[in-house]
Amino acid sequence: MILDWLPPTLIGFLLVLAGIGAIRRMNLWRAGQAEKVNILAGLLAMPKRYLHDLHHVVERDKYMSRTHVATGGGFVLAMVLVLFVHLFGVKSEILAWALLAALVLMFCGALFVYKRRMNPPSRLSKGPWMRLPKSLLTFSITFFVLTLPAAGILPEGTGGWVLTLVLSVLILMSLSEMLFGMTWGGPMKHAFAGALHLAFHRRPERFGGGRSTGLKPAVLGEASHGVAKPTDFKWNQLLGFDACVQCGRCEAVCPAFAAGQPLNPKKLIQDMVVGFAGGTDAKYAGSPYPGVDVGNAKGAPDQIITNGLISSDTLWSCTTCRACVEECPMMIEHVDAIVDMRRFLTLEKGETPNKGAQVLENIIATDNPNGYSPASRTHWAADQNLNLMKDVKQADVLFWVSDGAFDMRSQRILRAFVKLMKAANIDVAILGDEELDSGDVARRLGDDAAFQSLAKRNLATLSKYSFKTIVTTDPHAFHCLKNEYGDFGSDALKGVEVLHHTTFLNRLVKEGRLQLDTFKGGKVTYHDPCYLGRYNGEYDAPRELLASLGIDVAEMERSGYRSRCCGGGGGAPITDIPGERRIADMRMEDVVSTGAEMVAVGCQQCTAMLEGVVEPRPVVKDIAEILVSQLSEEVNS
Amino acid sequence: MPPKVNVVSLVSIGRHPQSGRSRRAEQDGRAVELGLKLSKKSLTVVHAGDAQEPVLRQYAGMGLDSLTVLPQPADGDALPILVDFLKSSKAQVVLTGVRAESGESSGMLPYLLAEQLGWPLVPRVAEILTIKQGAAEVLLALPRGQRRSVIVSLPFIATVDNAAAEARQTAFGPGLRADFKVLDVNSVKDEAMATWQISAAKPRPKRLKVVKAKTAADRMKAATAKPVGGGGKVMKNETAAEKAQAIFDLLLEEKVVR
Amino acid sequence: MSEFPSTEATSSGLLRRDPRTEWIARNRLHPLHSSVVSAGQGEVRGPTGLLRKNPHVIGFIGPNGIKRIDRANLSAAGLNSKKRAGEAKEVQLPLHVVDNPDGYIMVVADMIGGRLTSHDKDILGLAHQLVAENKAADKGNIAVVLVCFGESKETQFDLAGVDRLLHITGQEFEGFAPEARLSALMQIEAQYKPENWLFPDSIHGGTDLACRLASRLGERPATQAWQVTATSTVSRGASGSCDISRETPRILMLMEECANAIEDTRHQVLDLEFDVNSVDTGDNYRLIDQGQIEVDSNAVPLAEAEFILSAGNGIHNWDQFHAVAAALRATEGASRVAVDDGFMPRSRQVGASGTWVTARVYLAVGISGAIQHMQGIGQCDKVVAINTDAGCDMVKRADLAVIEDSEAVLEALMKLAQEHYSSKEQEKSDAA
Ligand code: SF4
Ligand code: SF4
Ligand code: SF4
Repeated sequence: MILDWLPPTLIGFLLVLAGIGAIRRMNLWRAGQAEKVNILAGLLAMPKRYLHDLHHVVERDKYMSRTHVATGGGFVLAMVLVLFVHLFGVKSEILAWALLAALVLMFCGALFVYKRRMNPPSRLSKGPWMRLPKSLLTFSITFFVLTLPAAGILPEGTGGWVLTLVLSVLILMSLSEMLFGMTWGGPMKHAFAGALHLAFHRRPERFGGGRSTGLKPAVLGEASHGVAKPTDFKWNQLLGFDACVQCGRCEAVCPAFAAGQPLNPKKLIQDMVVGFAGGTDAKYAGSPYPGVDVGNAKGAPDQIITNGLISSDTLWSCTTCRACVEECPMMIEHVDAIVDMRRFLTLEKGETPNKGAQVLENIIATDNPNGYSPASRTHWAADQNLNLMKDVKQADVLFWVSDGAFDMRSQRILRAFVKLMKAANIDVAILGDEELDSGDVARRLGDDAAFQSLAKRNLATLSKYSFKTIVTTDPHAFHCLKNEYGDFGSDALKGVEVLHHTTFLNRLVKEGRLQLDTFKGGKVTYHDPCYLGRYNGEYDAPRELLASLGIDVAEMERSGYRSRCCGGGGGAPITDIPGERRIADMRMEDVVSTGAEMVAVGCQQCTAMLEGVVEPRPVVKDIAEILVSQLSEEVNS
Repeated sequence: MPPKVNVVSLVSIGRHPQSGRSRRAEQDGRAVELGLKLSKKSLTVVHAGDAQEPVLRQYAGMGLDSLTVLPQPADGDALPILVDFLKSSKAQVVLTGVRAESGESSGMLPYLLAEQLGWPLVPRVAEILTIKQGAAEVLLALPRGQRRSVIVSLPFIATVDNAAAEARQTAFGPGLRADFKVLDVNSVKDEAMATWQISAAKPRPKRLKVVKAKTAADRMKAATAKPVGGGGKVMKNETAAEKAQAIFDLLLEEKVVR
Repeated sequence: MSEFPSTEATSSGLLRRDPRTEWIARNRLHPLHSSVVSAGQGEVRGPTGLLRKNPHVIGFIGPNGIKRIDRANLSAAGLNSKKRAGEAKEVQLPLHVVDNPDGYIMVVADMIGGRLTSHDKDILGLAHQLVAENKAADKGNIAVVLVCFGESKETQFDLAGVDRLLHITGQEFEGFAPEARLSALMQIEAQYKPENWLFPDSIHGGTDLACRLASRLGERPATQAWQVTATSTVSRGASGSCDISRETPRILMLMEECANAIEDTRHQVLDLEFDVNSVDTGDNYRLIDQGQIEVDSNAVPLAEAEFILSAGNGIHNWDQFHAVAAALRATEGASRVAVDDGFMPRSRQVGASGTWVTARVYLAVGISGAIQHMQGIGQCDKVVAINTDAGCDMVKRADLAVIEDSEAVLEALMKLAQEHYSSKEQEKSDAA
């Protein structure tokens, strides 16, 4: 046969091209900042991370998960076998049969991909992605036919040179997509970058059921702070952006996107890719940032991101609710990227929008965001008879009051919780005026300098006293204390258990230290605060507490790890980027649609946001408040 | 705007009204803001005091490349060294706050500078509109958001009112990196101040509504009178036009419609 | 006519019991009995000159509506309705006379709108306290001089404590004229060598002029002074956070309520000799006043605005709202809901979480008044509400509330405003 050399040559040629592309792509990533990762361990762990962790996320969409296993698994297997059978010319019928089987598997998967793409939901990107199922089908059919002779089903040379030519053209078409496209920026890039991203992920703790949600501290005192240009990201962050499959799951859950604010996490990640690879977003074929046209964004690795690639409003719209991260099958870290870029805007440009500047100034001058007198922090507790750590030096439990101390509505929650602790005879103390803002808001607004200063001073205060447990009613402070204060080299929290008040109360109830009457009100639903749920994995304690009152929670469609944010996080109420709707209103609609008369929450900020919705609306109550009203015995001491 | 005016903004250490902590002073921050707006290039920001004071970084964080410090002890008199400094500088416009937030807060410094330099002073400036041909058109802030336009010849000193544009946000990075030019100056002690006694502010007794009632009944009436504003008039059944007329009459009576 | 005490007891015509007359009325043997009893007791001279008794006047209606005749004559109108003589008469306050004073205390008043402000009056009061102290210490007889510039509409200088008046008028002192005014003060200084100069520490020009004078004279003044005696002064420092006590300087800038205004005396208000023309009004003034400029009412910062037209979710016709605000020359405000719904920018939000306002008139249209909003308008003088819900908090707070759909009222207001201003225009052009 004259043309027999053609298919292997084509395969080889495309492989070489793919190799060149891979090196080029890797160089793009390497333009990012150095970050230590354990290369070998990462590579070794990669298959397990793929099969276990990534699949765990993909599994939430059963249809897609099966499709992906068939297509992806089939393809990887087939590709390896193709190398042996067609490139190296290993003559083995067994191999050929295995290849055929793999191709059939892949073909079936590809059919489902095709079907999905017939009428794709809006969150999926179109453009080249619409071509992908066809390429997949072509690939499997072509190689199926090509392999038939090797498997001994058809005699060698069937079809003559015409068939070989036709097949070669098809090989060229499909393999360009599958191999060349993989490393030169086609849709299949996700397989290549995704695999490496899993291997070199910046938060390896996330794999194997772990959790890593605390922001990484900014290094202060350098020539610049935060991320200004794409190359200011760590190299493995850039790699992570490249792993995006544009599945749009993040877009579908993003509260800011739903509210019509100019943020779409999927587009954001794609713009990051445009940034470090250079070019424009003209080829982007998914939903835009609400209210912003696609095609005008330009980026380059060394160009300031907010100069032409994305607008700063996009960054300030995020509530840092982590819904996108939780949902992303490629385990991309959107929130890290957004806060990194915010750090540049705040620390270097001084461009925190709206009330941001004032809030940060207040935090610096008064250690609380609203500029209240630091000496009035303990006024709420004037009648509470609480021990001050300053006096007692030690206690079983330290109650971290948080800035709710200044807010009349939040004080009701604080008082309710104190009453419960007293009913259970807990040895508790507070820091009083020594407590400072946890720094949550400052950090999410990008002012890591203010955050670190607060964190260090708080840790210094904490280290003066001894306590076993620290409890707070504020999930934001809870998150800082538990997951972020550890980066500052202090022993103050060593061996200390940091708990949210719902977890703590749940223990008390289980130990029988709180006697509660059954709740007889109407239907109740529960809103999971993002900083309690997604950030800290506490979904059960609040529900168990409600159950202990005999409440059968009428769950919202979006609850648990899919809970929709109330709009109160990440400094979003401060930066106040206009949208078409308010996030809190949407959340209240979720509540209303369950028919509940009351929504239980575990966060003062959620309470404030949800209560800000125009009445009539269901009642909003913190779990501590609900419990306190069902407390059967009065405190006798 | 003119091609180039030399602007000097004088800054002091402010005091947060709630926490009492040092901060960028409200009006001084606005003076820097106004200076930046007039000419970012030829603006010199000057502080007479302690060069180590961290608050100065907050001013620098407004985007200043450098900040000039005339070192002074806390009990020093800033006037003579500032006069010397301004005489030797080519300053054409000097901006300060109306009153400092710390120290005596007398607000005299700009007046004394103006007197000693023989320059005119414009008080409570909200905006500098134009600077041309050796004169500037400035807007003075009057109460209730009103403005007065004044023309003043260069060089001049202006005190900046709270109505001027708010100071831009200070950014940590640039503030950290700004260069401090610490000049070598002699300090003069403020002698008079040493004789003062300074104590925490005593709350001022609120003036009671002293009722000069001549009779017991008058006193009784004054004591029990409804506070003004309590229990207003409610109009329900009149026509819309009548209601509008009633509102309009009130507006005329209160002189908000003139 | 019979007069019942209850209807008569107004503040001016106060009823007083007179125990002596009552006693005479009870004592028939008293020589004055008949004259007391007959006084106004239903006996009148008829047209013919005869004494007539009016039977209707005898007696009174008792508490349960039955007519009673009072034999004891205790309720006789003549006894009980006797008004205190002199009650309505203008009290002539004693005149405080200063002849040939040994020295002067100068009070330079703000005189906003040509009238003494309460701040000015407090300072005049303080000046007299200093005068009294001087007198007690035998330091001579000092007169309080009021220095004022420009047009004066004040008619009660005498009651405010002005012994002498230096009223300086002339074109060059009008408006913003710190240099000319300073020249005049320097002339006064040279001519009278006052013991003290007192100024209101105010944004109406008092502080400015005082600082100018102090720096020209090279005197160190006390600013924000609030407790002043002839020897020692307490003033606020460090933005009001500390008190500075020192010897009383010659130049003082005084806070409001630094002393009580004069109330019990009248003063001479004699013009003090002063030759305006001798004031050195050099042509080298370097500040040229171009007058107050027309400020777009909507450009006035919300916190400072005098008149705010504020919109809530009761507004449906936003174009109309903006037009009315413009026609009334009001500054626009909004409730949180109106801002959240995107009808108004965030900077317009009134309330605890927005801007705290101090308007003289706050006209709330379609705002029911959430607690944060009511907090934010706490300092407004007059609140007017237009609302359809008569029970809402805003209507309860309002000095004037109209229960009506906003659109109709706003339309009528619009018409009134337009008529008002166009007739003003007319007048102006007629006058010109
Ligand atoms: S970022 Fe993740 S969730 Fe979002 S589109 Fe990409 S892969 Fe999907
Ligand atoms: S963190 Fe929440 S708000 Fe921010 S991009 Fe992700 S989903 Fe959207
Ligand atoms: S306030 Fe509650 S729901 Fe909102 S961001 Fe914070 S934790 Fe999430």
